[in-house]
Amino acid sequence: MWSFYTFILLIFGFVSVLDAKSSSGNSVLVILDPARQPDYSIFFNGLKEKGYDLTFRAPKDEAPVLIEDDIPSFAHVILFAPDSKHFGKDVTPQALVQLLSSQTNLLIALGQKQNLVTSLAPEFSLILPPPGSSLVSYFPERKEPPTVVPIDVPSSSKILSSSSSPVWFSGVPFALGNNPLVFPILSAPAEGFAADSEGSTADALFDAADKGGEGLWAGSQLAVAAGFQALGGARATWVGGVELFSDEFAKKEISKGVKSGNQQAAADLAAWTFQESLVLRIDSTTHHLVGTSVPKEHYTTNDVVEYVAQISRFNPSKDKWEPYSGLDDLQLEFTMLDPHIRTALPPVPGSPGKYAVTFRVPDRHGVFKFVVDYKRKGWTHLQSSTTVPVVPPRHDGYPRFLSAAWPYYAGAISTSLGFFLFSAIYLAGDPREGNLRGLRAKSTKAQ
Amino acid sequence: MKWSAFLPLFLLPAAFAATKDKDAVREQLIDLAAKGNGLIKLDSKTFDLLTLPSRDWSASIQFTALDRRRRCAPCKEFDPSWNAVAKAWSTAPKEHRDTHFFGTLDFDEGQTVFQKLGLASAPLVYVYPAAEGPRQLPNGKTAPSKYDFSNGFEAEPLANHLSSHTPIPIPYRAPIDWARWATFISGILSLVLTLRFISPILQSRWTWAAITVLTSLTMTGGFMFTRIRGTPYTGPDGSWIAGGYQNQYGQEVQVVALIYGTLSFAFLMLTVIVPYQSSASRQRMQVYLWSAVIMLIYSVLVTIFRLKNRGYPFKLLL
Amino acid sequence: MSTAYPLPTNLSTTTVTNTASLLRIVALGLISAAAIASRLFAVINFESIIHEFDPWFNYRATRVLASQGFYEFWNWFDPTAWYPLGRVVGGTVYPGLMATSGVIYNFLHAFHLPVDIRNICVLLAPGFSALTAWATYMFTKEMKDESAGLLAAAFIGIVPGYISRSVAGSYDNEAIAIFLLMFTFYCWIKALKTGSALFGTLAAVFYFYMVAAWGGYAFITNMIPVHALTLMLMGRFSSRLYVAYCSWYAIGTLSSMQVPFVGFQPVRTSEHMGALGVFGLLQIVAFAQLARSHLSSKQFQNLLTVSVVAMGVVGTFGFIALTYMGWIAPWTGRFYSLWDTGYAKKYIPIIASVSEHQPTAWPSFFMDLQLLIFLFPAGVILCFRELRDEHVFVIIYSVVASYFAGVMVRLMLTLTPVVCVSSAVAFSSLIDTYLDPTQPEGEEESEADSSNGTNTAATPSKKEKAKKPAASTSALNDIVTAATSQSSSKSKSKGIWGLDTRLIVIVNAIGMLSFFVFHCTWVTANAYSSPSVVLASTNPDGSQHIIDDFREAYYWLRQNTPQDAVVMSWWDYGYQIAGMADRPTLVDNNTWNNSKSHIATVGKAMSSSEEVAYPILRKHDVDYVLVIFGGLLGYSGDDINKFLWMVRIAQGVWPDEIQEPNYFTPQGEYRVDDRASSAMKNSLMYKMSYYRFAELFGGNNAMDRVRQQTMPKVGPTLDYLDEAFTSENWIVRIYQVRKEDLLGRDLKSANAFAQGKKKKKSKPVSRRKAIPV
Repeated sequence: MWSFYTFILLIFGFVSVLDAKSSSGNSVLVILDPARQPDYSIFFNGLKEKGYDLTFRAPKDEAPVLIEDDIPSFAHVILFAPDSKHFGKDVTPQALVQLLSSQTNLLIALGQKQNLVTSLAPEFSLILPPPGSSLVSYFPERKEPPTVVPIDVPSSSKILSSSSSPVWFSGVPFALGNNPLVFPILSAPAEGFAADSEGSTADALFDAADKGGEGLWAGSQLAVAAGFQALGGARATWVGGVELFSDEFAKKEISKGVKSGNQQAAADLAAWTFQESLVLRIDSTTHHLVGTSVPKEHYTTNDVVEYVAQISRFNPSKDKWEPYSGLDDLQLEFTMLDPHIRTALPPVPGSPGKYAVTFRVPDRHGVFKFVVDYKRKGWTHLQSSTTVPVVPPRHDGYPRFLSAAWPYYAGAISTSLGFFLFSAIYLAGDPREGNLRGLRAKSTKAQ
Repeated sequence: MKWSAFLPLFLLPAAFAATKDKDAVREQLIDLAAKGNGLIKLDSKTFDLLTLPSRDWSASIQFTALDRRRRCAPCKEFDPSWNAVAKAWSTAPKEHRDTHFFGTLDFDEGQTVFQKLGLASAPLVYVYPAAEGPRQLPNGKTAPSKYDFSNGFEAEPLANHLSSHTPIPIPYRAPIDWARWATFISGILSLVLTLRFISPILQSRWTWAAITVLTSLTMTGGFMFTRIRGTPYTGPDGSWIAGGYQNQYGQEVQVVALIYGTLSFAFLMLTVIVPYQSSASRQRMQVYLWSAVIMLIYSVLVTIFRLKNRGYPFKLLL
Repeated sequence: MSTAYPLPTNLSTTTVTNTASLLRIVALGLISAAAIASRLFAVINFESIIHEFDPWFNYRATRVLASQGFYEFWNWFDPTAWYPLGRVVGGTVYPGLMATSGVIYNFLHAFHLPVDIRNICVLLAPGFSALTAWATYMFTKEMKDESAGLLAAAFIGIVPGYISRSVAGSYDNEAIAIFLLMFTFYCWIKALKTGSALFGTLAAVFYFYMVAAWGGYAFITNMIPVHALTLMLMGRFSSRLYVAYCSWYAIGTLSSMQVPFVGFQPVRTSEHMGALGVFGLLQIVAFAQLARSHLSSKQFQNLLTVSVVAMGVVGTFGFIALTYMGWIAPWTGRFYSLWDTGYAKKYIPIIASVSEHQPTAWPSFFMDLQLLIFLFPAGVILCFRELRDEHVFVIIYSVVASYFAGVMVRLMLTLTPVVCVSSAVAFSSLIDTYLDPTQPEGEEESEADSSNGTNTAATPSKKEKAKKPAASTSALNDIVTAATSQSSSKSKSKGIWGLDTRLIVIVNAIGMLSFFVFHCTWVTANAYSSPSVVLASTNPDGSQHIIDDFREAYYWLRQNTPQDAVVMSWWDYGYQIAGMADRPTLVDNNTWNNSKSHIATVGKAMSSSEEVAYPILRKHDVDYVLVIFGGLLGYSGDDINKFLWMVRIAQGVWPDEIQEPNYFTPQGEYRVDDRASSAMKNSLMYKMSYYRFAELFGGNNAMDRVRQQTMPKVGPTLDYLDEAFTSENWIVRIYQVRKEDLLGRDLKSANAFAQGKKKKKSKPVSRRKAIPV
């Protein structure tokens, strides 16, 4: 499957016009109410400058369609229609999932109201608070309403450039299920909680939690932006509130003279979603006996084998794939049903992008697989599996003339010599002897 | 029946044992087991004690109906091996022994339990795992598991199976069948002793001929089939021949072997005896006789075969 | 001396002998022709195709051998079998069959006869059946004479018991094994009679061929020693026996150890220990004989006998000790199950599950051997009558083989030859007696005057009366003399008076023989000539209708799936999938020398629910699952009927996950309709068999025509598999295993979502307790 994935990447990588920055194409469909379009001009212009060509479509429109003849019409889809009740009939949760399965990336903004988006969220194991509730935080002291919250960008984030100042957020926080594919990009502040009305206090929330049994919608385990790395390789990003991308928040100052990080954050989110950042691929994998260079179609037990993988990373600034040796936790498994060998696959110093390991094939014949399975949050999943049979030695492949076998050799030789001598003497012997022996033979036969 | 004497004794404590904590219950079970050398004779109340929801011991319970009126032959067949295993367990070291109990609930003493569990047949063996405490199953399963009688009623497989539920394997050892050995050895001895007298018989080729022929006749009559499949001697409706090509009753072996025997005997007469007749007419008579016998019996054989294999197109006289 | 009918007198003995031998040759030729021809029904009714299951592997292996040569075949590691374990074919196969057809193939191609390897494989069995007839002729010739030999050859040529395993297309080891069996025995008898080391060596060579060809060689390995032992016990030890046995055993054992699959078994396993023991005993006895012939001291001889016995005892105990110490492997389960018949069912269900390992009911005996089955005891008696060494062999053979044939249907094959031989002996001696024209002198005059009607009827009757007592006594004498020995019978006149007597017996005999021929033809044509790959049914108008679902499905696999797509099925179909669809399989018919747990894994996957089975399928990289379903057509050999074996085999490994009783209704019935138990209804096998079965019947309730049960209106649903292919008559159904869900959901909920069902709202896992302020 990975090969198909890389194939797609290659195709898009080559056909896309030079100034496009995505590794998977530059056609973007934005589903957005035309009236609201100006509110996000900074974000969209940013994308345009990067070289994406945006197509806008009102939620209720029928065209342009998402999928035509089972082929997605766009490389990326932005769904900024959190509050619209109705959509064009081709925009369904199933259709959106199908987009993901055909390598189309999604950037989706959640809203207060129940609609298609909120019904789709559970499939990505996002757990939404009760309808109508939004993130409320009274800290830090500020003049904005408690539903407009400044959120610090975590310094450890690989996706958001951590240098930028806090980000204004207003919208729905959500909890994440225990699905390994989903991970938080931007978490809610520890003091924040989800509440339906602006005036509500923590006590009200606790009461609600106790009564409704809804669990506790508070604290930093809630996320306001989450990334989802689908198994096919496509990416989806969920953002609790569409305002994060708005010009208003981008211009809004955190404090005197300090510009908010929204613009940067929005750009980073889009960059990750559109497979600009943190994109890896396996260019090639080979395996061969140590000392040789051509791969064999099967190995013998106890051979010493070298496995080589070539990995490169997409560089958006130069818009090309570059060999990447930065992965230090890559692993190789040599499996038949269970991994018989699991070893680190370290980068080869000096040769960029090359990862190699040498190991001894187990003393067990069967159909084995070289498996590389690299799944890290935020990064593209790397998967490679090469099947190769391991066979027992040939009939003449075993060691010969063992010292342990000398007794047997000696026995065989001496016996044949003895037989030769005996027959020689017997034949050359005195005929009378022969007669006598013959007579005796007769006599024994008689009795 | 000395247990009837004990019944009232432990009915009384059992009444308010439910309120007592389970350690007391365990103590009570232990001395019950001690009394019945390893086996607790249950009734509906003690059954509830033994299968206490908060039990930290496990128990294997035999549901049976030994009373003559119940006419449960398998129960009687199974009971001894059950008792043997229980007895074997009572010889286990104490710290293990007291964490697993063997009980027997007779239908006539625990009808309510049978109804409660919806048991329709006997004998049955249920193993109740410990519901809590150190010996609780890893998967937290507390529902009883049923013993599968597919291996028959012998004690050996039972012990092996139950050993997977007891803390240590049940120290069951199959008793040596002295009677069998005695008969075997005496048989050998008598053979050796009488060898001198019967040696002429043993050395006569015709004894061996008889043995050989009888063996091959029974074998070709499908004897092993009835042995392995344990088919009855006759059908339930008294019919001696089983319908169907791949099936047969015990009696068919005899009939078929007899037919084969007669036919080959007739052939032998024609081949071996008849030529030595000293009078022509008697010889002629015999020739006709045996030929007729062959024809008749052979047609009978074919007819029987047609009964077994409906599609068979050929038939002789009959 | 008078004759019953005139004989030509002007014939020189040479002419007679020449004509006789000519006739014999012609007869043998005709017999071979009949043997081959009667095995071609399968080819004529259907086509030139490999039959059943195992032959498909042999055929595949033969193709490898023919195309890549013997060494490649020897080192052949088949990665597609027992995926992912693979199979070391070279080391786990009896190469004799493949080697034989490989040799024939190369031989023909050396003469530029471009014969397809398939046709060689298809026609190998009939060809060898002709050879078997010849070998049986030689063997029986040693027992009695040429005429008996011809009869035996004719019998074995057409008897169904042997045809059942050697029709054209059943390309299995037995095809050549029976010929080797008979010829080895012939060489053994010949060696025993003549005491020639040459024939002993010949026997060893063919024994080696047999070892290379069939696992049943153990029968020879134990048959010959038992014969030798019995002869020794009968006090018939002779230098001939010594030479014959030693040459056979030494050379035979050494050469048999050259077969990779056999290796060191001849010295390590109990099946072969008998032969070794007898070999040792022979040496001891021979030494004793030698000593006796040189020494005369009585006590010494007693001492010698004692020491011989002692050595024998010591040897036996030594063997037992070695067995316990593990130096000698005990009986293999397969062999053991022949003695303790309950053993297999309890401990090795895989053995018990094979249909041809079931015991034999008497109709099968009659079906396969017909009149031979009751001629056979008569023949044995005749063998007892003149008890030469070779007759002892036949006697032992008959007892042992009839027991084995009773225990296992497939061993009917080893019984058939001896039945043919001994019944041929019986029949031919009957014919001899009644064709022999000479009349006894005994009562010429009485014959004469009873024939001419001058005297009154009273006189003969008076004569009779007068003779009565004498007659009765004489009758006794007759029996005794007849029974005990010929020597006395020489003195007495022996023969048949009159033509009518001869005529009736001969006519009777011929009638029975022709009935036998009709029987064999019918059985062969109807019972044993269908290549279970292609089924045949008859249309209402009587015409034949071919049901070709298997090949249809296998070719679908071959055409529509990637080369390395792994197919899971029950093991019966492994060889066929490998042979016809050319796809890797999880398990196949080679169940002896492979990990039973692998089969149990498949059994578990088949008998547990989808959720449990799916991880197993993914772990074994299974892409397609193939099931056989006969419910629509009434094909009773389908997987639902084999299902309980899968459950049992799985239960053997996971007793606490799979339990056989759960698959029965509370009443203990095996049902598939709506009263079926939940474990049954949720099992993967059940779901795959009956998926969308109900839809086929529109509104009416679906009817399973094998189980004769009406299925519920709503059939089972599948979440983890997709129906990929169903053959014309629904016999073969192939399902594709789904990939993991794109969004990492379990496929059940993913399905629900795809069908637009709402997902119930879930709650967050609260990592913090709420502390009211």
